[in-house]
Amino acid sequence: MSLLSLQDLTVTLDTPEGPATVLDRVSFDLAPGESLGIVGESGCGKSMTALAVMGLLPAAARCRGRIDFEDQDLLTLDERALCALRGRRIAMVFQEPMTALNPVKTIGFQVAEGLRWHFGLGRGEAEARALKLLDRVGLPQPRFSPDLYPHQLSGGQRQRVVIAMALACDPALLIADEPTTALDVTSQAEILALIAEVTAGSKMALMLITHDLAVVWQNTAAMLVMYAGTVAERGATAEVFARMAHPYTRGLLAASPGALEDILPAGRRLATIPGQVPDPHDRPQGCVFAGRCPRVADDCLPCPPGERLLVPGHAVACLHPHEGETPS
Amino acid sequence: MALFLLQRLGTLLITLLVASLLVFLVMEVLPGDPAAIILGVNARADTLAALRAEMGLDRPAWERYLLWLGGLVTGDLGRSYTYGVTVWELVAERIGLSLPLALMAIVLSTVLAIPLGVLAAARRNKAADVGVMGFTQLGIAIPNFWFAILLILLFAVHWQVLPAGGFAGWDAGFWPALKTLLLPAVALALPQAAILARVTRSSVLETLGEDYVRTARAKGLSRRAALWHHAVRNALIPVVTIMGLQFSFLLAGTIIIENVFYLPGLGRLIFQAIAQRDLIVVKDLVILLAASVVVVNFLVDLLYAVLDPRLRGGGHVL
Repeated sequence: MSLLSLQDLTVTLDTPEGPATVLDRVSFDLAPGESLGIVGESGCGKSMTALAVMGLLPAAARCRGRIDFEDQDLLTLDERALCALRGRRIAMVFQEPMTALNPVKTIGFQVAEGLRWHFGLGRGEAEARALKLLDRVGLPQPRFSPDLYPHQLSGGQRQRVVIAMALACDPALLIADEPTTALDVTSQAEILALIAEVTAGSKMALMLITHDLAVVWQNTAAMLVMYAGTVAERGATAEVFARMAHPYTRGLLAASPGALEDILPAGRRLATIPGQVPDPHDRPQGCVFAGRCPRVADDCLPCPPGERLLVPGHAVACLHPHEGETPS
Repeated sequence: MALFLLQRLGTLLITLLVASLLVFLVMEVLPGDPAAIILGVNARADTLAALRAEMGLDRPAWERYLLWLGGLVTGDLGRSYTYGVTVWELVAERIGLSLPLALMAIVLSTVLAIPLGVLAAARRNKAADVGVMGFTQLGIAIPNFWFAILLILLFAVHWQVLPAGGFAGWDAGFWPALKTLLLPAVALALPQAAILARVTRSSVLETLGEDYVRTARAKGLSRRAALWHHAVRNALIPVVTIMGLQFSFLLAGTIIIENVFYLPGLGRLIFQAIAQRDLIVVKDLVILLAASVVVVNFLVDLLYAVLDPRLRGGGHVL
C-alpha cells in the first residue's frame, strides 16, 4: 500500500513562447515510513514534482496524470480540500531558510500557526506545543525563545525552524526540497541528521530532493534520477549505486565532488556532461538525453525509451544502458 | 532601539535647523522692505526708520535670524502686521480646522487606498484590478481643485446635501462642523489615495512572490489568509514611506483646497499672508509646516520599527 503514488504525471507551463513541458510522464510510489531521494540537476523537474504534490504549482501550470495520496487523486481536489491536506498530511521544507520564514513574525508564531490553522488550537496551547517542537529540532529553551525573529538566527537554525513548522501537525509525508543547498557544510550534515532522526522509526515518509548524489546515498532507501522532466533511472539506492545503468546517472556521478570517497578514488578529476538540457518548448521526439549521451545510437532518436526492469526494484529508461557494476 | 531613536531624533533637529535657515534666507532675498509695505509709499522717512528699528530690521541679518530662532524655541512667534495679533493666536485659531481636515484626508485616503491596492494585487489582471488601476490613473491625472469643484457641483449644488464652503466651527456642534469639512477632505484625499493604492498594489504583488508566502501556503493557509497574514504587513513598509512623503503634498493641497472651499485654515492664512507680504506670518507658518512634515516623517521612521523587527535591533542568538 503506497502513501503517495504518481502515475504519468505530466506538467506543462503556459509561457509566452507556447507550452513548455517541465514534467513528462513521471511515475513513482512511496510507502508510509519509506524514504525516496530524487536527484538531478537544476531544472530537471525535481522541485516541480514537489510543488505538484503540494498543489502549489504556478498558476500557468497544467497537469495531467494522477497524484494519489492516501487514496485521493490530488489533481481532482479543490483548493479547500488541498488546504486541509497541506501542512497537515503533507508538509514541506524549503531550500532557502533565509527567505522561507516571514521576517516580521516571531518563530514561535510561525511554528504555532499551522497548529492553530489545522487544529483550531488557541494561542496559548499552540505556542506551548511550538516550544516542544523547537526543542525537538534542536532549538532548546530558554536560549531559543519563541519570541525571536528569523533575522536573529543563523541559516542552520532557521532551517530547524522550518523543519519544526513542517513537523507541527505530524504529517504523513515530509517533502524536503534541497533542504541543505543554502547551508554551510557543517550545518548541512546537522540538518540531514535531524531529518533522518525525525523520520526514523516513524510512519512519516520522506521525499528528499537534492542535486547531490551523496545526500541520496546517505539518507534514502530508494532513489529516482530525473533528467529534463523524465525519470531516467530508479531503484533501491544501494542497488542503483552498485550498478548505475543510465549514462546520465554515471555522468552525474562522475561530475560529483567530494563525500563519495567510499565509491570514488581520491584524486579523481571531476567530469562534465557535454551539451545542454533540451529546451522545454522544443523537446526531442526520442530520448531527451540523446543529444548529450556518449552511447547514443540511431534507435534512440525516433521515440522515447520505455522503462525496463534490470533486476526487480531497479529500472532504467534507456535502450543502451551500462551493464555491470559502477566502475570505481 | 534607543540608538535608532536617538539617531532619528538628531536627524530631525538638524533638518529643522537647516529648514529654518533656508526659510530665513529666502525671506531675506525677497525684494521689498516690509516696513515700507506696511506704511505705504507716502510714509515719512523718520516714521519708516522708527518702524524699522521697532521691527529690528536695522540689525544685521544673523542677529535677526538668531532672534527669530530664539523666538521659535521659546514659543514667541512674533506679531502679524495685518491682523494685529500674535502669530500664535492666528495659528491657534486655524489649527482647529486644518489639523482635523488633514487627519480626515489621511484617514480617508488610507482606508480607501490600502484595501483597493490589496484587492487589485490579489486579483491581478482581472476585472477588479483593471478597474482599480483605471480609477487610480484618473485620480492621479486630475488635480484636486478640479475634484473640489466637481464635488461642490454634485453634493452642494445638485443634491444639496453638503455645504459648498465655509466652516461652521466646532462650537456649532461636532456633526455640523464635520459636514463642512467632508467635501474638502475628500477632494484632498482622492489624488493621494490614487497614488497610495498603486503603491500598495505593486508592493503587495512583490511580497506575494516571496518565499515566506509560499511557506504559509505550504502550511495550509488559504490564499486569502496568506495574503492578509503574511503578505500585507510586509508590503506596508513602502506604503508607509509614501504616506510620510505624501504628507507634504497634503499640506500644499490644503492651501488650494481651503481657498476653493473658503475655509479659514492655515493654508488660507499662508496664502493671504503671502499676498499681503505679512512676512513674519509667512516665515513662521512655513517653518511650522516644515516642522510638521519632518515630525510626521520621524513618526514614519518609528512606524518602520513597529512593522519590521529587523530595524529594532536585537542581536543574534549565539
